Amino acid sequence: MRAGRSSRARGEPAACEYYKAPSCADWAIAPTGLVIRISMAFLSRRLGLLLTQVNRAVEQRHFSITGACSAIQKLTRVRVVDNSALGNTPYHRPPKCIHVYNKTGVGKVGDKILLAIKGEKKKALIVGHRMPGPCMTPRFDSNNVVLIEDNGNPTGTRIKTPIPLILRKREGEFSKVLAIAQHLV
Amino acid sequence: MAACGRRLLERAGLRALATASAGRPAARCRCFSSSGLLRANNGEPAKFQPPPKPVIVDKHKEIVERRFLSPEFIPPRGRTDPLKFYIERTDMIRRRKVLDIPEFYVGSILSVTTADPYASEKTSCFVGICIQRGGKGLGATFVLRNIIEGQGVEFCYELYNPRIREIKVLKLEKRLDDNLMYLRDALPEYSTFDVNMKPVPHLANDEIPVNKLKVRMKPRPWTKRWERPKFNIQGIHFELSEEMMKEAQKWSAPWIKFDMLREYDTSKLEKEIWKEVNEELKQ
Amino acid sequence: MLGWGRLLCRAGLRLLAGGPGGPVEAAAAIGNRGPWCFIVRHINSATWWDEHLSEENTQFLKQLTAEEYRAQTASKLCPLKDEPWPLHSWEPGSRRVGLVAVKLGMVPLWTKNGERHAVTLLQVKDCHVLKYTPKEEYNGKTATLIVGGKNSSPFYKPESALEVFREAGVPPKQKTTIFKVSDNAIIKPGTPLYAAHFRPGQFVDVTAKTIGKGFQGVMKRWGFKGQPASHGQTKTHRRPGAISNTNAGKVFRGTKMPGKMGNVYRTAFGLKVWRINTKHNIIYVNGSVPGHKNCLVKVRDTNLPTYRDCNKNAPFPTFFC
Repeated sequence: MRAGRSSRARGEPAACEYYKAPSCADWAIAPTGLVIRISMAFLSRRLGLLLTQVNRAVEQRHFSITGACSAIQKLTRVRVVDNSALGNTPYHRPPKCIHVYNKTGVGKVGDKILLAIKGEKKKALIVGHRMPGPCMTPRFDSNNVVLIEDNGNPTGTRIKTPIPLILRKREGEFSKVLAIAQHLV
Repeated sequence: MAACGRRLLERAGLRALATASAGRPAARCRCFSSSGLLRANNGEPAKFQPPPKPVIVDKHKEIVERRFLSPEFIPPRGRTDPLKFYIERTDMIRRRKVLDIPEFYVGSILSVTTADPYASEKTSCFVGICIQRGGKGLGATFVLRNIIEGQGVEFCYELYNPRIREIKVLKLEKRLDDNLMYLRDALPEYSTFDVNMKPVPHLANDEIPVNKLKVRMKPRPWTKRWERPKFNIQGIHFELSEEMMKEAQKWSAPWIKFDMLREYDTSKLEKEIWKEVNEELKQ
Repeated sequence: MLGWGRLLCRAGLRLLAGGPGGPVEAAAAIGNRGPWCFIVRHINSATWWDEHLSEENTQFLKQLTAEEYRAQTASKLCPLKDEPWPLHSWEPGSRRVGLVAVKLGMVPLWTKNGERHAVTLLQVKDCHVLKYTPKEEYNGKTATLIVGGKNSSPFYKPESALEVFREAGVPPKQKTTIFKVSDNAIIKPGTPLYAAHFRPGQFVDVTAKTIGKGFQGVMKRWGFKGQPASHGQTKTHRRPGAISNTNAGKVFRGTKMPGKMGNVYRTAFGLKVWRINTKHNIIYVNGSVPGHKNCLVKVRDTNLPTYRDCNKNAPFPTFFC
């Protein structure tokens, strides 16, 4: 993991605006340990800085997302794409996969995973990942999941981002998730 | 000219001065020649008629048909039996007789309709920019990219997959690079295209326009270090500090272009294959 | 390598004999035991077939043999007209002969329902039956047929090796294999075999020599896990670890150790035949096949009991055209 200097710190508001736009889950945020270390370094270097400014700077830092080429496995940071309150309220820690319910431990489209989200454990369904799947199937720019209850019903009521059509193959299991999807590709 | 002048001087009997003033006759000659040029310059403005020339060139272009051979027809270098490529080609031509695969390049905007048992109406359509063409022979692929609802989506299509129903070129153009994988790290507006885009008309024998767009990138880190000379990317407007650009040049390998073993001249092969494919397709 | 050896031999001979030397002089030179002795010694083993022939004669010989072999192949094209052996019908338990084919490479193939399969192209090239060995002569249990594929030059083979081809009346082959066949499936030597010997939908076994990997460690050769990269490892990252225990006090036979990998015969069982190209004699076989590109493989009806029923309707004993 590498920490890059925030663009605002260098004074480039144009690039910065882009960063605010997507949901916070879209961009990886540093683990707490690293945040503290960086902010300490910041404090020691420039004592004149206000604490609030430091906090903002830390928030806008971004880190290289390693493991983009391996699909979803344990500790992968994911993006929740439905409109559930749990997935959309900001939190200082991004939702992470803590278990994949299949034999290989590598989650692909249609696999169920266990998420650590806002200090809770929650099940989710993978609806797209960065790793290219077989030919003629979509590849997404982020690892997308939809939160589901233990009985398989989706927590949210709407999914705005596109969902792969291949999920229809297992229509019976995911019919409720597919019913709230608005865009299928 | 200088020698000639010297000889003239010698004839005139100025032998003593000849060596000393060797430069002067040359200067005189130059004077003469420049005066000749001036005369020509004076004449030119009067005969100012540039329009006919381009017209002639255009006619020439119309006569010359643009030869296009899809890149997957060119066999890769190796020791494989040419018969294998021939058999693959016959299958490719058979498929092309059923489905019209148009000419397109990396950077063109395409719309692809595929048969999908899971889609409503059993077909799904995707519009996007072609960011990569890969594979040789029957296994050739191309990658389309678009941003739908703020979500980047890419499709890797197999060119000869029978599931493909239709390939339509909405905008035929090239970009500065042969591989646009860096659009993944570029700002989203550069890979956003309207799904209901109207096809841009293009004349059959026109030159392919090159879109000299330079994209702006998201802040680093990127999926790859595109500033490195290995990628040789022209289409990115790098906003990196000079130090970083200099650092990237450390990985340049200027000796590679002198490596004669890397050369793979396909022009002859291409001509033969184009002839064969064209004849077959016309039947 | 061989070429260089020859050049060196020549140079050595000239030095010793003081001029262009023939083989007689070379023999004398061997007796000399000079400083070039160790080079000269090779002269007996390394000769080439057109050593004493003029260029014209070489060309003539090449042309003559080519014509002869063409005529031989042409005469074998219709084996049914030329006193064939009695044909029998298929019974359960019959085993047909197989083919020798050249591996061309792999391509994708799509079925009618849109599934994609990777297939290997096997070309049946100049495949002929060479010899029939009856049961009694082979091992008392099964009769065999020797089959050869891909014509080769006769000039680099000893006379003894060419005998089998001369008896069958076919050009010399690069590869010959033995197929065990049942008594009702025997074919007359000299019969050409084609890709149509197999039908689409059938299942085959393909045997070939795998690509040689040279001397390899246990991680590559046997898939051992190795040791961690860090955490205090000293010179132990890709090693096998323990190979036995104290109680045994010995290394058991067959312990997986580093060694030569590849370059052994392997068989891929139960590969489906997707398609047959009768014009170019090409078999499209499902999946991958051992061996490198352009290597010669042995294709036969599968032995797997699961697929025996699929192989009932193939042409018996082979396809005649």
